[in-house]
Amino acid sequence: MSMSAEHAAELKNEVAAVCCRTEEGTIISAANLEDPNIFPDLEASGLMKIPENCLKIGQVIGAKLMKTIDSLTPLTSDLLEGIVEMKEEHASKEISQPEQKAVLKNNLKAGAVIEAIDLENPMNFEKLEDSLLIKLTDAVLTRKQVIGAKLLKDAPALSVVTGEMLEGFDAFVPEKAVEVQAAQAVQSTIVGGLLKIKIAEGKGIDIEVPIGTGSSVVPVKEQASSVVEVAENKVEKLEEKVIRTLTRKHFKIEKVEMGSETKVDGTTLYIREDILKNAIASEELVVDMKLEIITPERYNEYSETIMDVQPIATKEEGELGEGITRVIDGVIVMVTGTDENGVQIGEFGSSEGILDRNIMWGRPGAPDKGEIFIKTEVKVKAGTNMERPGPMAAHEATDVITQEIREALKAADDSLVVDTEEFKQVRRPGKKKVVIVKEIMGQGAMHDNFILPVEPAGTLGAKPNVDLGNVPITVSPLQVLDGCIHAITCIGPASKETTRHYWREPLVIETMKDEELDLAGIIFVGSPQVNAEKFYVSKILGMTVEAMDVDGAIVTTEGFGNNHIDFASHIEQIGMRGISVVGVTFSAVQGQLVVGNPYMTSLVDNNKSAQGIENEVLENNCLAPEDAVRAVYMLKARMGGEDIKEAERKWNPNVKLNNIDVIENGTGRKIELEANEQSLEKSKKRREIYEVEE
Amino acid sequence: MKRVMLLKQHVGAPCVPIVHEGDAVKRGQCIAEPSGLGAKLHTSVTGKVAKITETEIIIDADAVQSEEYVKIKECESIVDSVFEAGVVGAGGAGFPTHIKLKTELVDGYIIANCVECEPVLSHNIKLLEENPLIVINGIKYAMEATKAKSACIAIKVKNKKAIESIKKALDGIDNIEVKELRDMYPMGEERAIIHEIFGDWLTPNQLPLEANCVVLNTETLANITRAVEDRKPVIDKDITIGGKVKNGTGSNIFFQMPIGTPISELIEKCGGIDGEYGEIVMGGPYTGKAGDINISTVTKISGGAIVTIPLPEYDGPLGLLVCACGADEERLRDIAAKMKSKVVGVTACKNVEVIRGANKCETPGDCPGQAQGILQLKKDGAKRILISNCSDCSNTVMCCAPNLGIPVYHHTDHVFRTVDHELTRRLPM
Repeated sequence: MSMSAEHAAELKNEVAAVCCRTEEGTIISAANLEDPNIFPDLEASGLMKIPENCLKIGQVIGAKLMKTIDSLTPLTSDLLEGIVEMKEEHASKEISQPEQKAVLKNNLKAGAVIEAIDLENPMNFEKLEDSLLIKLTDAVLTRKQVIGAKLLKDAPALSVVTGEMLEGFDAFVPEKAVEVQAAQAVQSTIVGGLLKIKIAEGKGIDIEVPIGTGSSVVPVKEQASSVVEVAENKVEKLEEKVIRTLTRKHFKIEKVEMGSETKVDGTTLYIREDILKNAIASEELVVDMKLEIITPERYNEYSETIMDVQPIATKEEGELGEGITRVIDGVIVMVTGTDENGVQIGEFGSSEGILDRNIMWGRPGAPDKGEIFIKTEVKVKAGTNMERPGPMAAHEATDVITQEIREALKAADDSLVVDTEEFKQVRRPGKKKVVIVKEIMGQGAMHDNFILPVEPAGTLGAKPNVDLGNVPITVSPLQVLDGCIHAITCIGPASKETTRHYWREPLVIETMKDEELDLAGIIFVGSPQVNAEKFYVSKILGMTVEAMDVDGAIVTTEGFGNNHIDFASHIEQIGMRGISVVGVTFSAVQGQLVVGNPYMTSLVDNNKSAQGIENEVLENNCLAPEDAVRAVYMLKARMGGEDIKEAERKWNPNVKLNNIDVIENGTGRKIELEANEQSLEKSKKRREIYEVEE
Repeated sequence: MKRVMLLKQHVGAPCVPIVHEGDAVKRGQCIAEPSGLGAKLHTSVTGKVAKITETEIIIDADAVQSEEYVKIKECESIVDSVFEAGVVGAGGAGFPTHIKLKTELVDGYIIANCVECEPVLSHNIKLLEENPLIVINGIKYAMEATKAKSACIAIKVKNKKAIESIKKALDGIDNIEVKELRDMYPMGEERAIIHEIFGDWLTPNQLPLEANCVVLNTETLANITRAVEDRKPVIDKDITIGGKVKNGTGSNIFFQMPIGTPISELIEKCGGIDGEYGEIVMGGPYTGKAGDINISTVTKISGGAIVTIPLPEYDGPLGLLVCACGADEERLRDIAAKMKSKVVGVTACKNVEVIRGANKCETPGDCPGQAQGILQLKKDGAKRILISNCSDCSNTVMCCAPNLGIPVYHHTDHVFRTVDHELTRRLPM
């Protein structure tokens, strides 16, 4: 589509191509030109190729076409006569007195990009302040910060430039904040750069899927380590405080057998033979149920879709999130199921098939290789597989069995403990205060989560997220690690977080351990079905985070698509309050963001798949320790006032690897990269759908 | 190529043309004579008289012009030479110089006004740096004509190079002294100089004669020398072009540009206007007025042209404080309109006296207090004010308006902000 003259003037530095067939002799005007905003998409889809010598819009307007050309032909000097010499742009990067405050010299309109010549000479600042014509508060950005930035609204001459006036300018972090920050190296990541739709007050959200966005991770420069020492001296007086402690006692189980009663006997776990009767009877919607003990030799067997992976744990002392918890090592509970007609309990994406081809071993939410699965196969009433009560019944029926095992574990002799692990919730006053916001599914059906059961990862006493209205709920990091979430989400299995994922949540662990950060808490916020409700909860989230008075926030989500609407809104709500914010999501190729806003500048991509897709391999694209490390370093970079490089247009897995390099080189820390589906034998779906070989 | 010779480039009545449409004229030829108070007008170009109107003689200039000119007739006296050459005060007012020189100053003084008070304009100082003799000789001729026994060159202390150059040229001359003045606006105002040198204030309607002196501007003195020594009429003018031109915001000095040259041509010589602009200020930042780039030309009294950045927008109620030393009400209203502000009140500095239709300050550079005016503007509903005061009065305004919560613009701000010059506000303590 052709452009208006105004639009063309704004885009005078963009490459020029005609929108339609254009006849020889035509004097090129804006009406002849295609909007360059769509060129990347056109290039990606092979419709055009822009040569290096392509002229700029400012050069071609007014020039005469020497021969007839077809639509989408890029304009080059051999096609035109009378090319306009464009005035050399003022060296906008070179600016004197870069640390001085930015005050506009000219009356600028919204959309204008600030150049050096648009800024007032600081020599008269004192007089202008004295005359009350300007006010140079801390919120006013420096000259170097605003160069090249785009104005969001009209601003007359002598306006001071602040972050909210500029596009994509996140919470401004004053320079001095860098001193307190003690990162030896910082890195930044940005994902899915195409931000086409702005969310406006929860109305009229169109989901437009752009072509060819993806994720990328761009490193930023290292910071001097000398700064670190200074910072640490400054905050010496503020002492760390242990708020609460959680101890995990590990019981090793090497054999699971059916027996007359459920009990732990040495390293053998016996399960009552007729336990299924109670389990089936407990739920009206459950028509049948199978129980299988899957040992490693049976990993090559078929299974219905994996709905959840759960640790087996029980409280010995204290409430969930503190005290002592007993947990079984070497065994997990796996919920699988179909409805009476054999339809998988899963919406679009299910992991049925040969177990060892559909599980990404060792991920936080997956089984570890070698573990024994207590696997239920729940058959729910026909048609209830896609409604909320069906999957809930499958989970609750399974938990009847798990609960009996928990009781047995509680009764087990303390001498059987093979290992103890201690988690401390530490507050670190004076350090950068951060919060983790985890967006969890709350759309009903198999998009729900039970919050805060009595027993770790259990269902009793917990309230479903959906019933709570999906509103933000704050818990302690230790509650997360003690199983306060029982997840009922496992469809789109590669990007959904299982119950075990929370038990081993890597971002919580990484942030909690980081001595440079003061983790205030974890907020769970549901992702409702209806857009209006999405903004309802994100507004509440914004206020909650505001009240916490944090310096930074990391927002994670599971899945992709619909949930990205609230994900974006959460980031906006936090970002607009001047808080540094980093987003973590699966994105890559298939999960590219469909919405965006100026605060979504710092994103980490959870993708591990070779193709950048949801390939229905359990937990493949979920948040792993490597992602947690990147997210934490990126947040530190943001809080330190570092800029995040813009994402590449297309997903480029190398960007993430570059970032990993930057962190490893900067910190000396080795970051283990997760294996992906390529380490597994191809599942049926991968063979037939995703990775078909010619 | 058309060249416009304005019939009124001086104080007094317009000149009366002595050529006719169709006449061939040569550069330097007299084309109009004064009727009453005034000065002769000469064409700065060779060509044919294309048109004569009530206000101007338009000459169709030949394509090729030379610097040569028709010399004025040989005269017996300096005063006659100056009259023949059509010399007028080149500093802005355009008072006919021969009348000043007719004054008898027994035991009096010639004061060379080399103060060049308006910031940005700098062609006078440059002339003093490069050719001080042409000015000093002019002083000597003026002394001879008026029988003044001594003279004094008033110059701002900051112009070190020019002072040095003048002092060197004055070596051996003991009846001309250099008087170094503070860098304040409006130090160059005639009565302010006299006050600075003699300590007494003339009333606004008194002439310098009453202080037993005649004040002549730098370029006027040079023109006297040119008239006497070279028999050259005033057909060329020194001028400064500054502001937002592509050659940079420094001052571009043009010596001896033919009168009638369009300002736009000079701006082009400076590379043209750099992007969007606000005004073409004709004259200096304080007393200049917005010119029209399509019409403005060089005249005998042009000081300069400054291309400014656009005026800052302020969409609110604005009060105007008029001062005799800077912009008048009309000029302030012009600026307010360009700022898109609504003028809700106008007040004048207490010192303003209207003499023969022009604002004059009782004591230029010596403030009478401004609080009353500011309070009045506030009462009128002004949320911000635009002032046109001199350095000292602006300082006073700054001591009260911001305390009342009223932000202050000065009518020179956009000019100074263009050229990175210090703004007129509070004075250093």
